[in-house]
Amino acid sequence: MVVGEVAEGVDLLVVGAGPGGYTAALRAAVLGRSVLLVDRLGDSGIGGVCLQVGCIPSKALIEVADVAHRAGGLGDAGLTVRDVSVDLDRFQDWKAGKVGGLTGAVSGLLRRAGVEVAAGEFRFTRPGSGVLQSADDRPPRHLQYTDVLLATGSRPVELPGLPRDGLRVLDSTDALALRSLPRSMAVVGGGYIGLELGTAFAKLGSKVTVIEALDRLLPGVDAALLRPVRQRLEALGVDVLLGHRVEGFEDGVVTATAGSGVVRVPAEKMVVAIGRRPNTDGLGLNKIGITPDGAGLLAVGPDRMAAPHVAAIGDITAGPALAHKATAEGEVAAEALCGKPAAFDPAAVPAVVFSDPEIAVAGLSPEEARAQGMDVAVARLPLSASGRAATMGATEGFTQLVVDRSVDAVVGVHIVGPHASELIAEGVLAIEMAASPLDLLASIHPHPTLSEMTSDVARVLLHQPAGATVPAPAAS
Amino acid sequence: MSELEFRLPDVGEGLDAGEIVEWHVQPGSTVVRDQVLADVETDKAVVEIPSPVNGTVLRLGGDVGDVLEIGALLVVFETEESVRIRSHGSTGPATPQSAGKPPAVGEQPAAAPALPTPVAVAQSPETGAGGPSPDAAADGGGSRTGRVLASPATRRLALEMGVDLGAVRGSGPGGRVTSDDVRSFATAPAVADTATAESAPSPRKSAPAAGEPRRAVRRLTDETVPLRGLRRSIAKSMTASWREIPHITEFREVDATALVQARATLRPHLERDGVPFTFLPLLVKAVVATLAEHPKFNASIDMDAETITYHGRRNIGLATSTGAGLMVPVVKDADAKSLGELAREIDGLAAAARDRSVTPAEMSEGTFSITNFGSYGGWLATPIIRPSEAAIAGFGRIRDAVVPVDGVPVVRPTLPLSVSADHRLVDGEDLGGFLATLIAYLADPILLLKGE
Repeated sequence: MVVGEVAEGVDLLVVGAGPGGYTAALRAAVLGRSVLLVDRLGDSGIGGVCLQVGCIPSKALIEVADVAHRAGGLGDAGLTVRDVSVDLDRFQDWKAGKVGGLTGAVSGLLRRAGVEVAAGEFRFTRPGSGVLQSADDRPPRHLQYTDVLLATGSRPVELPGLPRDGLRVLDSTDALALRSLPRSMAVVGGGYIGLELGTAFAKLGSKVTVIEALDRLLPGVDAALLRPVRQRLEALGVDVLLGHRVEGFEDGVVTATAGSGVVRVPAEKMVVAIGRRPNTDGLGLNKIGITPDGAGLLAVGPDRMAAPHVAAIGDITAGPALAHKATAEGEVAAEALCGKPAAFDPAAVPAVVFSDPEIAVAGLSPEEARAQGMDVAVARLPLSASGRAATMGATEGFTQLVVDRSVDAVVGVHIVGPHASELIAEGVLAIEMAASPLDLLASIHPHPTLSEMTSDVARVLLHQPAGATVPAPAAS
Repeated sequence: MSELEFRLPDVGEGLDAGEIVEWHVQPGSTVVRDQVLADVETDKAVVEIPSPVNGTVLRLGGDVGDVLEIGALLVVFETEESVRIRSHGSTGPATPQSAGKPPAVGEQPAAAPALPTPVAVAQSPETGAGGPSPDAAADGGGSRTGRVLASPATRRLALEMGVDLGAVRGSGPGGRVTSDDVRSFATAPAVADTATAESAPSPRKSAPAAGEPRRAVRRLTDETVPLRGLRRSIAKSMTASWREIPHITEFREVDATALVQARATLRPHLERDGVPFTFLPLLVKAVVATLAEHPKFNASIDMDAETITYHGRRNIGLATSTGAGLMVPVVKDADAKSLGELAREIDGLAAAARDRSVTPAEMSEGTFSITNFGSYGGWLATPIIRPSEAAIAGFGRIRDAVVPVDGVPVVRPTLPLSVSADHRLVDGEDLGGFLATLIAYLADPILLLKGE
């Protein structure tokens, strides 16, 4: 610190107001800490990528696209809908209202908890100190913290040679903010963000091509879960180019190569969703003796501590870059910084892809369970066994149960189908509680619902004759 | 197939016996190489004795509580292997038992191929709506290597109570650990019933050592417990010291203003990676510097051989209180280590002593000891010398005291200390000289920079 600069004392400094950061700030405030929550965007950054430009906005778009699309898909059932159209301009205003309402609610929670929110980029100057530089020309604030919690999240990776311009080359944030529907769109990256965006825009009427450099979509997701999604993409007219690298984008044509072959994809917009990079490079971590690994991630213990008085959570630490993981870690980190015994030690962190149909997984795949030396039993029940699914016109998908027979416990649940994202929560509970398949079967599930799939797949595993939920029409 | 006698290997330097604390196998048990057979407590540490072979246990060489000499029969195996036990035995102690995750009851190594598999659910739907019976899974030994089965609420409870879930025997189906299991595990030693306490799986964490009075339970009868393990070792050593060594003890108080300042200055630089920087590294530095000038205090006397050995190395023992009793891990060659290195090593040794993973080697070869009765609020005390050493320094708690400075009463941080020495080796005047040097370093730690 230069002579003349006055450092402010901060009890607990939280850097990043995303779902992990604001959760930690609230928890610490409840535990009696005086908390300063700083975010690049200040108040308007509350909720982070998830709330502002990620989970919530994308689900708004997916919902509208899905309703519009499904309205036209029940012709066989006698439903005729004329002139379904989506006005993206009005959609954006509606979405902004929803996001504004949610961030306002979080803002209110923070205010009532006594958490101070400040705008600016924080970087360390030495252990225990740092400087908060706001984007406007206000003087920087010098902060001396007792404890600091880093929750700076991640940002989209750009394609080398094809930087984002926000007009033709978009990142996911730009795509979710489009006010007019592109006639054609190339989505670069077949991960969950690319698939969700590609599917939504295809349903709205864009001609979508998904270009993935690897030879499969959704790396990391069990291939069996992917089949219904591939079929649906085909039905929606989405072209999928696997093993293709994007080389250029000129005059409305994306050039992609696979080996010696060259493919030219006409596209009004190109959306790049090839991954995310942790925001650890601008923090001045070297000043406090912390070195991120090659991927930019910070090493932490189960209590989320990266160094004494320094905790890190969310996308800047190992594990899936998911909001609910960050939130859970935020609670743990806040408690650890307040001297309470705390450990992030879940049996399952669920992952959800809002593709069509949705994919949701929790716990171990059959291969992972075998690799851990478990005595594995797997049961799979196709969605065609569900009466409720039939009435929804949805038949592609399944529910899969992975059980360790040696201890009679559910260790994995995988669901492909409508509302898989909602249904997986029961699977998470089952895994965390070490429920047995019989626990699932003996717990009465309401009929007729998709949730019955979870008890019926347990029935399959227990080799009991199928009961009322063979592909039968809803009886209630 | 042939019989193979496995004898208790030398589990630590200079130790001649070990007490069987727990058997992990029984006659008839199938074992694989390196599977833990028994926990054996030596004078200072609990070590796991691994199996040298694949085979079947025929007989055990003793019961829990028995003290076996090194070389005494431990286990008789039936095995097809012929093994040079000696070579295996010499690698002996394997890993001292850590606080990490002791094998759960009924847990078998994943590699065991011949283990009975519990009846699988899918194969026997008619047994009910049930799955494998709790016993089948808990005792039959599923080869599960995954996490302990427990609900998130139970995990949280274990964390809050400081209980290692892996050490808890689960009472639920398939060995599921319930919150009640955690609670009863944490409070198990409080059950003042010797018989059940001994037959129950002994909790590894926060459990008083055998022989320690259990938590106060209102009772009218006396309780006599065997003198075992660490308590016995402390008892023997202290008796020998008190009987053989004529102690002389001197007491001083030193103005700790500069020492407190030195620690405050160094602390932000040396407190790294969660290692606290206490006064102890500074005290060790002051002691080793003093020993350089007073070699009589870094010596051993042998009355039988009528010799005095002046030690070349300065290995400082640090009396550390643990749940099981006093242990004295040794910082070897403390004179050659920086303050940061000392802080890390002291922190590591103290932690190892507390969870009893400290090895006998880490507690041997001491040449001088430090005890810190200030850690429990003590002012002055009469430390007892560890046999074969010549002296011991004890430090009290630094507190503000009114002292005269230039004839005026002034409040200063004051460090009380006492040094006990073996009067056979040193005289009162030597002790006074030693204290004067030590106090000079403590009062003005900058002198430590002058070198030896």
